[in-house]
Amino acid sequence: MKGITRRKFIKAGMAAFTAGAVSPLLGVVNVTEAKTSKRSKITPFRFVVVGDAHLYEMPNHRFDKTFERAINDIINMRPKPDFVLFIGDLAQFGKVKELEKGKRYLDRLRRAGIPYYIIPGEHDWYLDMGKTWKEMFGRPYWSFDHKGVHFIGMNSILVEDYWTARNMSPWERMLAIAELECHICGLWGVGEEQLEWLERDVKNLSPDTPVVVFTHSPLWNYYPRWNFQTKDAPQIREILSKFEKVIAIHGHVHQVVYNKTGNMVHIGNLATAWPWPYPPVDLPYPKIRMFRVDPGDIYDGVGFASTFLDDTFLGTMKYHTWADLLPEDIKDGVPL
Amino acid sequence: MRGVKTLALLGAGAVAGVGISFIINTAEARKPFTEEDLRLMNEELIALVKKGDELWHSPKLGKNGLTCANCHPDAANTNPHTFPKFQDNVGKVATLREMINWCIERPLEGKALPEDSEEMKALEAYAIYMYRGYPLRPGDNTREYPPVKVESGPGYP
Repeated sequence: MKGITRRKFIKAGMAAFTAGAVSPLLGVVNVTEAKTSKRSKITPFRFVVVGDAHLYEMPNHRFDKTFERAINDIINMRPKPDFVLFIGDLAQFGKVKELEKGKRYLDRLRRAGIPYYIIPGEHDWYLDMGKTWKEMFGRPYWSFDHKGVHFIGMNSILVEDYWTARNMSPWERMLAIAELECHICGLWGVGEEQLEWLERDVKNLSPDTPVVVFTHSPLWNYYPRWNFQTKDAPQIREILSKFEKVIAIHGHVHQVVYNKTGNMVHIGNLATAWPWPYPPVDLPYPKIRMFRVDPGDIYDGVGFASTFLDDTFLGTMKYHTWADLLPEDIKDGVPL
Repeated sequence: MRGVKTLALLGAGAVAGVGISFIINTAEARKPFTEEDLRLMNEELIALVKKGDELWHSPKLGKNGLTCANCHPDAANTNPHTFPKFQDNVGKVATLREMINWCIERPLEGKALPEDSEEMKALEAYAIYMYRGYPLRPGDNTREYPPVKVESGPGYP
C-alpha cells in the first residue's frame, strides 16, 4: 500500500472517529497485491494471555497475591502453554521497583520453561516515557511466527503531549494518565511509526496467513472516555483487512468483552488486579460478559485467559477465574 | 449540562413492574429565588461534587495506595440510586454512606469516615451526581448500573 493511500484513509478514519461513529472496517479495501500461497499449516497449540497486574511498590500488596496466583496457575497448567503474552500494565505508576517486582514474577515463567512476550500499558510508560520498560523488556512492538501463526504485538497507548504546556512533572504526568477517566490525556494510539512498521511487517504475508494481534487497548471504538479504544485502530484494521481472519486480543478493560469487525474478532482479557464495570454504552455481544463482582473477595472479577488454536485457525479463549464469574455458556471458552 | 449526556433510561413506569405511574405535578419555588440565587446555590453543590471527585481519586482514604476510582471510574458501579438496600457484605440494610465506609475499610484498607463528615458528604455527592437522572430503585441489589455517559471533562460543569 502506498503511503499516500494510507494517509487518505488515516484522514477518513479520523473523521469517522470524530463523528463518534462505532466505525466498522473502513470501506477502502484496496490491498490486492498480496500473493496467494499454499494454505498455512497450523500445529494446534495453546498460549496464555495475562496482564493488568498493576503492581504497587509496597510489599505483600493485594495485587501481588492475585498476580502470583495467576503465575502459579500458569506454571502448573498441563499441558504447558507454548508461551505467555503479558498484555500491559505490569506496574501501577511505572516505577522501577514496580516493574522489577513484575519482572521477577514473569521470570518465574521462563525458569519453568514457558517463554513470555510483553507489550506495555499506559501504567508502565508515562513516568519515564517507557525508558525503564524498554531497558527491561526491549522493543515495545514486535512480531514472530509460531507453529504457522503470525503474532503481532503493538504499543497502543501513545498519546499527544498533554504535560509540557501544563508544566507537569513526570510524576504528575503519570498520576494523570493512571486515572481511567483522565480527561486531559486525550485518546491514544500506536502512531505513524508503528503503522508503517505494521504495513512492512505484513506486506509479504499471504491472505490465508493466520494472524493474532495483541494490543493493550481494544482495536475498536468501545468507550473513548476510558480510552477503551485505539485512535488509529481504523488504519490497523485496514492494513490487516487483507487477511482471511485476524484474532485481536487486548487488555486494559479488565473485563469480559467481545466484538467482531470485518475479518477480525476482538476479545478483552481480565486483569489480575481488579475488575472494571461495564461503561455506559451497549455491548456489541451482550451475552459475552461477566457477572457483577463481590468486592470483598480479592480473587473475584480477576484472572487470566488461555487460547487454544486448532489447525484451521478456529480458536477458543477460556477465561481462568477463581470465582463464579462467568455465565454458563462461556464457561468453557469463547469461540474466536 | 455542557459536554454531558444523561442516558435515556428505563422510564419511571418500568420500576420493578409494580405498576406505579408518576404524575409530574411540580410547584415553583416562590421568590426571592432569583436566577442569581439559583446559580450560587448550584455552585455550592458543584464545589462539593468537585471535592468528592478529588477524594475519590486520592489514595489518602486508604493505606494500600488504592483509590475509590481504581474500581469505580466516573463512580461507575456505585449505583447510588439503589440505596438503601440489603448489602450481603455489610450484613444488613445499608445506606450509600455505610457502603462507602465498607469500601474504605476493606478494599482500601483505610479508616472509616464519620458518616456526617464533610469528606463523606463530598464522596456521596460525587457518586450521586454521576448517576443524575436515574429513577430511584431502593432495594435493587442485583444489578450493576453504569454512570452517566461523559463525553469530555470531569463529568460535571
